[in-house]
Amino acid sequence: MRLELRTVLRELWATGAGRAGLLLFGLLVLVALYVVLTYPPDFGPRRWSNPALWGDYPKAAPPAWTNLLGPKRPEHRILEAHSPAREDGNLKVYELAFDFQNDQPPTFLSFSLADVTYQARPPTVEAVLIRPDGGRIPLYRTVISGPFAGESPPYRRHQDEALRVALDTEQNAIEATYDYLVRQTPDVSYDEVQRQLPLALFGRWGDGGFVTLKGTYRLEATVSVDDPRDSVGLVRFVAGGAVYGAMGTDAQGRDLTQGLLFGLPIALLIGLAVATLSTLLGTALGLISGYAGGRTDLLIQRAADIVNNVPVLPLLIFMVFVLGARLWLILLVLVLFSWPGLTILVRSMVLSLRTSPEVEAARALGASRSRIIVHHVFPHIAPFIFATLIFSAPSAILAEAGLSFLGLGDPTLPTWGQILEQGFRTGAVYLGYWWWILPPGLLIVLTAIAFMLISLGLEPIVNPRLRRGQ
Amino acid sequence: MLELSLLRALLFRALTLFGVLIAVLVLLAVSLGATGFSDKILQATVGEELRALRTSLTQTIRDPDQLEAALEARRRELLASYGLDRPWYTRIPGMVWRVLTLNLGEARNLRSYDGSSRIADIVLERLPNTVLLLTTATVITAVIGILAGVWMSTRVGSRLDRFVAYLAAVSYAVPTWWLGILLVLLLAFELELLPPGGMYSAPPPEGGLARFLDLLWHSVLPVLTLVLASVGPSIYSVRTLTLNIAQEDHVTVARAKGMPEPIVRSRHILRVAAPPIVTGLILGLAGSLGGSILVETIFDWRGMGRLYYDAIAGTPDEGLIVALTFMFTLLYVIARLVLEVLYVWLDPRVRYEGGP
Repeated sequence: MRLELRTVLRELWATGAGRAGLLLFGLLVLVALYVVLTYPPDFGPRRWSNPALWGDYPKAAPPAWTNLLGPKRPEHRILEAHSPAREDGNLKVYELAFDFQNDQPPTFLSFSLADVTYQARPPTVEAVLIRPDGGRIPLYRTVISGPFAGESPPYRRHQDEALRVALDTEQNAIEATYDYLVRQTPDVSYDEVQRQLPLALFGRWGDGGFVTLKGTYRLEATVSVDDPRDSVGLVRFVAGGAVYGAMGTDAQGRDLTQGLLFGLPIALLIGLAVATLSTLLGTALGLISGYAGGRTDLLIQRAADIVNNVPVLPLLIFMVFVLGARLWLILLVLVLFSWPGLTILVRSMVLSLRTSPEVEAARALGASRSRIIVHHVFPHIAPFIFATLIFSAPSAILAEAGLSFLGLGDPTLPTWGQILEQGFRTGAVYLGYWWWILPPGLLIVLTAIAFMLISLGLEPIVNPRLRRGQ
Repeated sequence: MLELSLLRALLFRALTLFGVLIAVLVLLAVSLGATGFSDKILQATVGEELRALRTSLTQTIRDPDQLEAALEARRRELLASYGLDRPWYTRIPGMVWRVLTLNLGEARNLRSYDGSSRIADIVLERLPNTVLLLTTATVITAVIGILAGVWMSTRVGSRLDRFVAYLAAVSYAVPTWWLGILLVLLLAFELELLPPGGMYSAPPPEGGLARFLDLLWHSVLPVLTLVLASVGPSIYSVRTLTLNIAQEDHVTVARAKGMPEPIVRSRHILRVAAPPIVTGLILGLAGSLGGSILVETIFDWRGMGRLYYDAIAGTPDEGLIVALTFMFTLLYVIARLVLEVLYVWLDPRVRYEGGP
């Protein structure tokens, strides 16, 4: 009985496992499409592996939703303004206000400027923090760098990379904070302020230590310009949190949500590409071996025997180590090691089909050998091959993850295995950073299970012995 | 006649496996040669020897020209002896032979516990640890698989049966090494029940028995990881095999003859199911061997897998990597051969093949 792909899919949908698998797989493909469309293709080198980009993120912070379960830790706040809130003569005032209700201070503070343009004289920028108790603490003051020799106006500064100041260690900020606090409570010690500036800035002195002061804080950045056309395109104030986003961050402050999302299309690509190519290779060799017979058959079967009996992972590691860790090379090596099982099976199926009445009739009618293979042999084994394709995808995903975990992943494409490797190597397991260890593995399992469920659903359709019972 | 056909079947399998060994070695040699890797290793070795020679020669030869001439002569000698003056493919037979005879060369940084830098010493020292870990895990998995699988085959369709089926499917989707990390996170750090890694406490306890118990204690987590990863499929395959055979006619006949159930089960079901169960073990072995590289890495288990990781990480040691890839293949081939013998011994059909 022949099976059309459409029939297979319809029957697959009818089984519980098949439906669950198709739904899960569809969801994964949708998310993967979203990632492919919205993420730059050079996400790896340009974003993920670029430490400069992750400076304003908290390091090794658990996901934000953990606040619902345990102690309330401060969230990460990024406040940005692209245009001044008010202008007062030659002063442009940018205002960033936020409500602070935590028992713990921010983990770090930073202030950044970007996209500065001026006509003649470089503008000066001053950042002042206004506390709920009315205190005004000048944190930082700077003059944008002046024109170079031979440069012509308008002068542009900090276009590609923002001017970023870590306020925690900024001498001005420490002194200003101390000056303000000591006027309120004389027994504040300078060392304490210097040691924990975020707490001093967001707190008051009480009972021999700082406690946080809750309420609305405002950061005012005043830019004094010479020419009304002078502008600052971005003012940013970051109050570092102890929790971040949906998935948390790693030890370098990288947003794990982004890395894990980017890993999805790669995992699907690895699974589908390796499964498709090795299935094609295995089927082709099996068809040739079974139909040609003779010396070709013997050669292919001996080769299949040998490759089938090789311990794959050690050789895989060796090949990737020698050839280099490029994704397409990893895929190629995986394909080269995964064809023999199918070749042996397809050959035995072809051998039994060769003597079937259908093939004998076709041969009697003078059909060519290739026509018999394509029209009278292949259609019978197609559903079986389709099932093998789906079944072999998880092992490719797992193999790549294992290689990445040993440090042999493609460094330009962050994968789940690589995220796990970095976590393991930097001791995330020992430090209990579960949000760095659990999600990548769970995603690998989830993707593999999507394929497994589909192949479980395919089993009764493909296996003739089970089908006869229906 | 019987012994002859049995020998012939075994010989054929042994030849195939020997072919695997040679094919792997040739693959190693070709990929090292064609990518220029082996030239790099050998040049480094020559450079190393010449540096050592220079320091020793400066003690005796004062004249700088004479010294350079002596060194140049030695360099030529070395290049010729390593075959660096010939194209890489002419060196393949020599290299295959050296590795086959376990003449594996020197490691760059890693040393054995008594300080030897010979790769053969280091690898042979690590080998028992890997074998210990793998055989323990495989035996436990096989025993649980057979006992639970046979028991399950009498409870087909029960809730437990469905659970085992799902467990088997999920096992294919879970990376063994990730499971290991989870167990470390949970049992070693969260609950502090078991040591997170290593083979002995620091310092190791005195006395043979105490040391052995300490080793046993440290092996619980890695063995548990390997067993958990493979026990689901193992139970499920034994259950399915036993079930298929239990439905065959000869079992019905045996029952009809009034044979006691235990005898039916042991002689007519298990005896027939044994060879395919062994085949399942054979297939599982390849997976656990590869898995051991990752599991040993996670648990800092001083076996060949951990050594492999150390050889790749940091400054890679090519000689060690070649030697280890070969040793893994060798280990695999030997284990396969043992199981083949077991298979032939268990399956009467193989024995009578070709004979009357």
